[in-house]
Amino acid sequence: MEWAYLVLTLVSVLNFATPLLLAATGELVVEKSGVLNLGVEGMMIVGAMTAYFVGAHIDLEVCTVPHFSGVGCLVGTSSLPFERFAMVVLTAGLAGVALSLLFALLVLGFRSNQVATGLGLTLLGLTLTNALGAGSGDLKVGRVETVLGTTVNEWGIWGPLLNMNPMVWLTIGLCFAVGWALTHTRLGLIIRAIGENHDSAHTLGLPVVWIRLGAISFGGLCAGMAGAYLSMIQIGAPLWKEGITAGAGWLALALILFATWRAERVVFGALIFGFTLALELRLQTLPGLPSWFVPWLLPSLPYLIPIVVLTLISLDARAIRRNAPASLGKLFEPGS
Amino acid sequence: MIQITRRADVTAVHSLLSVAIAAVLTIVISTGVLFLTAKAPVDALSQLLTYPYQGGTIMVQWSKALNMAAYLGVMGLGLSICYRANVWNIGAEGQFAMGGIGAFGTWLLLGSPTAAWAIPCLLIGGALAGLLWASIPALLKTRANTNELLTSLMLVYVAAQTLFFVSNGPWQAPVRYSPPQTIVLPETVQLNAMLTGVPTFHAGLPIALGLFVVIALLVLYTPFGYRLKVTETTPRAARFAGYSPAATVWAVFLLSGALSGVMGAIYLLGDIGYVTEESNFLRGFGFSAIVVAFLGRLHPVGILFAALLLGYVAGGASWIQANLREDDSIAGFIEVIALMSTLASALFLQYRVTWRGIIAQTQESP
Repeated sequence: MEWAYLVLTLVSVLNFATPLLLAATGELVVEKSGVLNLGVEGMMIVGAMTAYFVGAHIDLEVCTVPHFSGVGCLVGTSSLPFERFAMVVLTAGLAGVALSLLFALLVLGFRSNQVATGLGLTLLGLTLTNALGAGSGDLKVGRVETVLGTTVNEWGIWGPLLNMNPMVWLTIGLCFAVGWALTHTRLGLIIRAIGENHDSAHTLGLPVVWIRLGAISFGGLCAGMAGAYLSMIQIGAPLWKEGITAGAGWLALALILFATWRAERVVFGALIFGFTLALELRLQTLPGLPSWFVPWLLPSLPYLIPIVVLTLISLDARAIRRNAPASLGKLFEPGS
Repeated sequence: MIQITRRADVTAVHSLLSVAIAAVLTIVISTGVLFLTAKAPVDALSQLLTYPYQGGTIMVQWSKALNMAAYLGVMGLGLSICYRANVWNIGAEGQFAMGGIGAFGTWLLLGSPTAAWAIPCLLIGGALAGLLWASIPALLKTRANTNELLTSLMLVYVAAQTLFFVSNGPWQAPVRYSPPQTIVLPETVQLNAMLTGVPTFHAGLPIALGLFVVIALLVLYTPFGYRLKVTETTPRAARFAGYSPAATVWAVFLLSGALSGVMGAIYLLGDIGYVTEESNFLRGFGFSAIVVAFLGRLHPVGILFAALLLGYVAGGASWIQANLREDDSIAGFIEVIALMSTLASALFLQYRVTWRGIIAQTQESP
């Protein structure tokens, strides 16, 4: 019983952590290349909406009770097989890329202020989804099929964990892979060199703008896919509503600061943030709580705890300075 | 091949040129979006532009635009002070919400008075609440060097939750409304309409205008404004001049927080009359104010025009939604398009963009 409860808690934590981790992994590469993209929230929510709309068009109708004449269907459900779900996720990622390319055009092409442009991208994402997402009321999306399916019962209490969507494991793998690639590969070295000092990198002949374009697109891809997880997987059945991200993109940005730009600590931080998000469901049934606890403090915790942990991390200013890409957010002016 | 070189001399002509480029870009792209999305684009466009003269009461329509412009202008000006000092306060929405809550809380603390003397107390209460809410990121920034951009933004969500809590919990009206809300303030402590039949043209507007003028003068003509200008253009020089960075952070956060808070109180007293859940109380003024600050290139005059423009467009969008059943999200699109165009066109303000042909090279050679 105790173990089963712990496993369920872990499932819940991983479930909340995954979209944050995926978006943060993308943004980690962007920031390591010296660009600060504050549009994560916008790219995520556009990804979430795209996934829902695409899912509604490619899910399969499964007939559970056929019409007695043999033609047609009396009771049917729709479902989304895993390979079709993968297409949905990819499309959502491409929607994120499209938004990130607009950011890249402004920041790299027009040398606009990165903070303002990123904020603008978030506003664009929210405006787009408010305008287009309004017509989603009649759309229905089938449940995403799990990989293990019915064999889950054989695994006992570990079933819920093993039966989680593979995106969870792939995301954790991706984050470690990105961390390894940044430190152990030539491309990773180039990205970090550009992020540390774009002028020196430029003098060395490294293609600063092109590498940053690639990094920004990768960030968009990850944020879009993270959005797909939010709308398709997170609450069990696909759901789209306005403002579904509820600050998840900003939490992803906070995660990178908390992790001081180190991949393994991004994973650790994602678990902490995921735990605070999971806490709301777990704690609200506790007896004897003060009247402000459940309606005020509990829903605010996912935003208050990041403030607290960021503050604790920031107290050590030297650790931040040591790990922060030195050219982060700075203007790159070649040839002047 | 395009060559981009930094201008050594940025003059008013370049400034006007870049504004003109931004305006043309905004008009072209916005019209394009409208034609793609609207059911009757030509009607929608013409009514969006001329809505005060489309059959409604002219004063009502203009006052809606001015009302919106007042919120965006004052809050945008406050935020521009932060951005000039390289302090990224993006939590004006939360400070605005706390201003409304603070004003209502002040009214309860005073013992629910019905006399007009309560109005200034409520406005001050709102300003204090916004100021206190903004002091959290300022404290964390100055004491622990915490990133103020993220903390101020996170606090927006907490403020929204606070709206939910007070309107569902301790302050909920005895009569149950849906969505839940507090009781409505008595009319005697509300900011009255200054023209009969024009509810959005209330006494909050001259207060906002007065605040705007005072803060604009502060930015343009005082040592504090000079300090902001030095911090904006050359942060190193600001340190050599002995300006304490921590004091700057405190000053800009408290000032912008108080401005957002007082606008939240004006919104409570003039426009809505009660505190309710986020979805009905907050209309995104705090986020639009960020756009206004950048549209105005952080200059008070620019911010005034930007606020009037966005206020006018928002009024037009709600007009075409009511009259032509078009989607009013066009206002949001125009806002974002204007922001992106302004950010992009800054290139032509600060740089010389030339085709690196033979002619350009000979021009540069001396």
